[in-house]
Amino acid sequence: MRLSLFLAAVLLVIALLMAAWVENRRPQALAVTPSLTGETEFCITCHADLNEISPSHPVETFGCVICHGGERLALDADLAHSSMRGGANPSDLSVVSESCGGEQCHSGSPAEARDHIQRVQTSIQATYAGAIANMRYTYGAQPDLNAIFGIQAVQDSETATGIPALAAFDPTQENNPSLQTFAENCLYCHLYVEPLDRQEYTRFTGCAACHTPLTDHAKQDGIPDDVHTLTTAIPYTQCNTCHNRGNYDLRSMTFTERADHPTSRLEDYYQPIAQFTQCEYTLDCVDCHTRQEAMGDGDLHANQKDIEYVQCQTCHGTLEALPAMQTLTDPNDLAFRLAFLNPVINLALGDTIIVTPKGEPLWNIRLLPDGSYEQFGKATGHRFTFRSVMGSNCQQNVDEQESHYCHECHAVER
Amino acid sequence: MNFVSRRDFLKIMTEALLALSGLLGLGGLLRFLGYAGESKPPQVYDLGLAESYPPGSRTLVANGQYMLVHKQAGFTAINTSCTHLGCRLTPGPDGFSCPCHGSHFDLNGTVLSGPAVKVLNSQTVEPDRDGHLFLQAF
Amino acid sequence: MRPNFFHHLHPPSIPAEQSRWRYTLGAGGLAVFLALVLGFTGILEMFFYSPNPADAAQSIQIISYHVPFGGLIRNLHYWSAQLLILVSGVHLLRVIFTGAYAPPRRFNYLLGLGLFVTLILDDFTGYILRWDQDICWALVTGTNLLKTIPGIGTFLFRITVGGQYACESALLRFYTWHIFGLIFLAAVLMVWHLFRVRRDGGIAVPPPEARPDRERITRFALVRREVLAMLIAGAALILLSIFFPAPTGVPITDPAVVTEEARAPWFFLWVQQMLKWGDPFFWGVLVPSVFLLLLALIPFTFAQPEPAELGQWFPASARSAQIAAGILLLVVLLLSLKGLTS
Repeated sequence: MRLSLFLAAVLLVIALLMAAWVENRRPQALAVTPSLTGETEFCITCHADLNEISPSHPVETFGCVICHGGERLALDADLAHSSMRGGANPSDLSVVSESCGGEQCHSGSPAEARDHIQRVQTSIQATYAGAIANMRYTYGAQPDLNAIFGIQAVQDSETATGIPALAAFDPTQENNPSLQTFAENCLYCHLYVEPLDRQEYTRFTGCAACHTPLTDHAKQDGIPDDVHTLTTAIPYTQCNTCHNRGNYDLRSMTFTERADHPTSRLEDYYQPIAQFTQCEYTLDCVDCHTRQEAMGDGDLHANQKDIEYVQCQTCHGTLEALPAMQTLTDPNDLAFRLAFLNPVINLALGDTIIVTPKGEPLWNIRLLPDGSYEQFGKATGHRFTFRSVMGSNCQQNVDEQESHYCHECHAVER
Repeated sequence: MNFVSRRDFLKIMTEALLALSGLLGLGGLLRFLGYAGESKPPQVYDLGLAESYPPGSRTLVANGQYMLVHKQAGFTAINTSCTHLGCRLTPGPDGFSCPCHGSHFDLNGTVLSGPAVKVLNSQTVEPDRDGHLFLQAF
Repeated sequence: MRPNFFHHLHPPSIPAEQSRWRYTLGAGGLAVFLALVLGFTGILEMFFYSPNPADAAQSIQIISYHVPFGGLIRNLHYWSAQLLILVSGVHLLRVIFTGAYAPPRRFNYLLGLGLFVTLILDDFTGYILRWDQDICWALVTGTNLLKTIPGIGTFLFRITVGGQYACESALLRFYTWHIFGLIFLAAVLMVWHLFRVRRDGGIAVPPPEARPDRERITRFALVRREVLAMLIAGAALILLSIFFPAPTGVPITDPAVVTEEARAPWFFLWVQQMLKWGDPFFWGVLVPSVFLLLLALIPFTFAQPEPAELGQWFPASARSAQIAAGILLLVVLLLSLKGLTS
């Protein structure tokens, strides 16, 4: 009995020592107390080497949980990640209001220019309304090209386009087999869905579809730097995850992804049937296409054509008129805010920039003292200079100044 | 070397091990109870524009936790916690008095009488370049 | 040596044959030890637990992940609770299968049964205190079951829940039931039960003339055995708690969110299975109550064991009681197994 007691006491001491050893082996919990919430988070205990997502979202201010959700106190991975919004992507449109929204954040004020979430949800890139309407019209499911359906149901109570709502496109309600095949094969280029699994064309959903440009390796394990990045310096390669991925065939209703990995933008990146001027194979898409064109203007539109309005003349002017310009006198001008977010140009009060017919600032294009213009690539920072059409040797007719006329001479033969 | 019987040796060893278990348990218990949680960063109070406090003024700010004094040299914030045991002081025309144990302080926080011995905590406050006063809790 | 307080809690000596582990399995004593561990670790948790729906689950995360040895204390509390129910069940079965319920022990048998039910309810209320998604539906169904009881049902619901919606208001009530109401009752029953063990003559033994082995062990030896059992059980509990953490779920944020599988806690799986068969009052309240009643009636209805056959397992003279208990056990086990595997 005495021996048994002794051995049992040894066992107890061993158990207690083991408890102490396991306790001391626990990694030190690292805390962040973001100033916006005041609630301490321990995410960086495991994610200390993650890069800060953007200069506009410093971790001391935001922390992690305010965007991602999750259990801020848990040090067990499964529990900590269990209540995260949208899995790895909190900007997925199903959770974007909770993650990115809020009056102080990206749901903004009633003025539509600051409510990015409402804009994006009603934009063509989310609703895909034009493609759906075109297909249904082509196959006789609707008598005209009016937009009735979108990828998901959406409403716009203050519509300026006469479209107050779109219903959710439901292929099971379509009679035409081509439309059902369309739904199966062709609905991979909108903001609610990721593209099919291919190395060359990886893209997230929601806001991250554009604002988190990915490179080829992005689908590996771990969290590569470019996955945890938000930027407005969006290279053309990101746009091409939808806009240049392959060819569709209406008769067989299939989409064939291109199998190559093109590098020469002029020679083999773009489709051979298209015409491209130097701007179009040198600049990035975001250098010309405006925020309203990409993210919508807050209204539902029936077609991409209705929202795209940038033309060659927007920057270059016409034979009879210079491009619209604006001298910056207000330090709170939107142009300064955008330039601050992406400092490729050092705008100052008194600078004159080009603006679009809708008043959107092309803040990366500045008038030079000699009357020419300088432009800085938003994604590359490269500097370009150009002149206006007025006063040049342009031989186009004065009343034929739309972009397709410019292409007649300026498009490159390939 | 004393000859200890096996029985006694085991008994002593067992008791020693149990004592060790007790100490280990007590140590763990004390660490357990000693956990205090994350300390929050000190709060910063926005006191408004410096010009709203005329020279010579004495104003209670930050929910009465500090007395903001505007002297010729600049702004000073005096902590209205008694340095004896921490009660909130009552400001008066000649300084401060403590309702708990009767300490008295003059207008600058020096001890006049009472169980308190230490002068009141104070700190200078500088307006920022926009003339705004921010006070970090101390 | 002079007997101390703990020695005096025990009789001066008991028959050696019935003090062996293979007779009693040490189950009753182990249950007392587990209850003490529960009380101690529970009080320690009270330093950090917040019975507030907004931060209950988070306070448990603080205990589990941030307080030094907090995870260990929590796991100890969890495992000793589940083991207590199991060990109490084993003790109940041992008492039945050795015929130790015969007079004068019939009242103590009922006390023990009451203690068992109280401990199960304490386990359930403790389970609810986690306040995470996994417990939500157990709380709703459990408290709604109370409402099905005719007459007093609504009143019972009110005193347990204290409001309209269980997943919102019940936490504070369950907390008080758990740490005070039920424990107070359990403490009274436990002390009474232990007192009655001594007053009824200690461990059930055959009368002196029927005992072949006359050896006895002293109170000192008995206490030494109990200390040995506690040391081993304590070490085993600590090792179990180091390597197997207590479950932690996602905190309840929206009561409307449904988890994929709404599973009852393991000790109520058998009731959950029966509830799939029909009327909630019948299958959820009446049938379990009948089970309890049948157990309670065992000392009063079946043939008593012969005094000479006491002190051993499965006395032939009490066969009918053993078969009845075996059937009840089998039913509960099979239903629980079905609940685990479905």
